[in-house]
Amino acid sequence: MADPQLKQKVEELIAANPVLLFMKGTPEAPRCGFSMRVVQVLDAMDVEYGAIDVLPALQPLREATAEISDWQTFPQLYVNGELIGGADLVEETFESGELAEALGVEQPAEASQAAAPAQAPPAQSPPLQIE
Amino acid sequence: MIAAALPGAVVEVVDETGAGDHLRATVTAPQFAGLSRLDQHRLVRAAVKERFDDGQIHALSIKTEAAG
Repeated sequence: MADPQLKQKVEELIAANPVLLFMKGTPEAPRCGFSMRVVQVLDAMDVEYGAIDVLPALQPLREATAEISDWQTFPQLYVNGELIGGADLVEETFESGELAEALGVEQPAEASQAAAPAQAPPAQSPPLQIE
Repeated sequence: MIAAALPGAVVEVVDETGAGDHLRATVTAPQFAGLSRLDQHRLVRAAVKERFDDGQIHALSIKTEAAG
């Protein structure tokens, strides 16, 4: 049973943000490969979106989204109040053009390339040292 | 496990890391006919929920197709 207050808060957030991503970590520093894949898709679409880091309240948020959307895993992408899905479905709808349609933007030309499975961890260049 | 929950399903599971806890499943099932992809994924997730709950699986990538 989800906390009713949290559930209501989550519903309000979904309603208030046309594009809303629940993710592990932040767009700048995703803490999970699946979340990173969704961020990469959204960046390729060049849309503004709200992002919520679920890690500080993972279990309560799982319970809330389970009741709201029958979906318990993160990331979760919502567009205009509708759940698109997790990383797999975000990529599928991205490649098919359905995501662009839902977002009301043009399909980026490099869609298939950008959506290639991101298996490798984020590239981390060593800090530059200038002496 | 997926095949038991979805009789007639063709399931292909790939162990992505070799550790057995990050899996990629491709599922083709007659039960998917007429369902949205969201619902197809919900069915697969429900089938493996136990393994997530007991921690045997950490991550599961899913691709679904309706049979036929």
